[in-house]
Amino acid sequence: MNTLALDTTSDRLSVAARRPAGRVSVREATGARQHAGLLVPLVLEVLAEAGLDPGEVTRLIVADGPGGFTGLRVAAAWIKGFSRDRNVAVRAVSTLLVRTAAARAPGRVVLGVASALRGELYVAGYQFGAAGVSTVLEPMVLASGHRPPLEGPVDAIVGDVADEVVRGWGYSAAVVIGGPQGLPDAARMLELADLAGATVPVEDIGRWEPIYGRPAEAQAKWERIHGRTLPNPASQPG
Amino acid sequence: MADLVLGIETSCDETSAALIDITEGRPSLRSLVILSQDVHRIFGGVVPELASREHVKTLDPVVTRALADAGVTARDISAIAVTAGPGLIGALLVGVMYAKGLALNLGVPMIGVHHHEGHLFAPSFEDPEFGPPFVALLVSGGHTMLLDVPAWGEYRLLGETLDDAAGEAFDKVGTLLGLTYPAGAAVEKLAATGNSERYRFPRPLLKDQFDFSFSGLKTAVLRAVRASTDLERDRADLARGFQDAALDVLVEKTTRAARAMDRRRVAIVGGVACNRTLADRMRARLTDAVVSVASPRLNTDNAAMIAAAGAWHLARGERSDWHLEPFDWRPMPGLVRAAGTTA
Repeated sequence: MNTLALDTTSDRLSVAARRPAGRVSVREATGARQHAGLLVPLVLEVLAEAGLDPGEVTRLIVADGPGGFTGLRVAAAWIKGFSRDRNVAVRAVSTLLVRTAAARAPGRVVLGVASALRGELYVAGYQFGAAGVSTVLEPMVLASGHRPPLEGPVDAIVGDVADEVVRGWGYSAAVVIGGPQGLPDAARMLELADLAGATVPVEDIGRWEPIYGRPAEAQAKWERIHGRTLPNPASQPG
Repeated sequence: MADLVLGIETSCDETSAALIDITEGRPSLRSLVILSQDVHRIFGGVVPELASREHVKTLDPVVTRALADAGVTARDISAIAVTAGPGLIGALLVGVMYAKGLALNLGVPMIGVHHHEGHLFAPSFEDPEFGPPFVALLVSGGHTMLLDVPAWGEYRLLGETLDDAAGEAFDKVGTLLGLTYPAGAAVEKLAATGNSERYRFPRPLLKDQFDFSFSGLKTAVLRAVRASTDLERDRADLARGFQDAALDVLVEKTTRAARAMDRRRVAIVGGVACNRTLADRMRARLTDAVVSVASPRLNTDNAAMIAAAGAWHLARGERSDWHLEPFDWRPMPGLVRAAGTTA
């Protein structure tokens, strides 16, 4: 399949494209404020380098979060327009899984970590096999000072996490990969594209939402005060 | 087939898509869908993050409905016009990125449109005679400005609000009176039953040239509300007193502007143009001019007006490139401060 992959969930915009058995083309740009302006120019660059016209893309892989809310929407909104009424298979992959791919090897258990702001972390755990990956810790928000609820050995921890935090978790054998190597990367998304269990199909792209990982602040506050879920009165088209 | 332009508007809490034809240079409405995000009523104002999330969920279905209502498919679209700003940046971003994706998908041109300019085109759909030169009163929840429009693309700013927008004042006074956000229509309805003699609120900057100020009026209403010993009894009279003061200022300054610019046509555009009392009083005062007011669906934030303004720019060969980014504030293209008016 002619595949285009994009990640807009971190400070780094990352896009990649590949024809079947072709070379991977990658472009990146740093700075979250640039994502909206640079996404399409970089997509066109990787497609051109891969020898593809936009209309020849048959598969789209998107990192669907958790991550920066605005970044998530940059990709989500663009994909909705780009794939509308076209024969394009859209598949989503967890941003945390994409991070762990930096330490992917058969048999390894890897934790993916991303900042959730206010001292909290998004964390998930995955175990890689030769041809697939399974989730050993579902993506969650980890409060400050807490340890991921994953017993047993962890081989690597990838993402935005300080060394002293990792030490407190007690995974003594884990290799820690941070910095640019720990960021989500669209080239790795292409590696994951054919790995069983890595991606999920997006069935109704029009109504699809990325995984924000947490509610809007105003919603969270309202729910704390009222002790119930925020009602969403049906909006009526007119 | 005539050019078919898809308009997209997501600048605040309305998700809207429209299809318009351009026939003999004039816009003709094929379909218009506006989805109002009711969730914000709970908060008494728009929550930007929730607005952005709602746009992500609903924009594509709204476009689907607009295409179906027009009896066309996405492949029939000739161009896309999308609100680029001003507005809530996260909300705008959804529309802009969707438009970029769809334009690349369809291989059609795209243009980012200034929201204020879109409002100026709103009366075009229902009045075949509508067009420059005219004086425009642009009044909404976010903006209050008086413009002289000698030609499309040439906008002379005569005056604007120095603090609150007129629509914002309506909403805030509505809240003081216990009405549900957004409160503009409810204030007008309540005022219709009120006594105009009981409360005489100040008419801010009435003697000044063309600028507006509504914060003092709002504060005066707040004081009156606090002084009331029976708010339930006084609500309608307070609403009437407030609306009379606000509309007096809007009508007086617009009349003065039309005469100063020697214009025979005045347009009232923006959400506050849905206030029928404003249009009635403007017409009663401006007997020597045509007062153009679009129907409410075209005065609230909507994609048809964006498509119309975009079509005008597209016809001039203008295009946005793929670097288009939303903006929270930027002056309207072609806008200059008119000489002799205060800054």
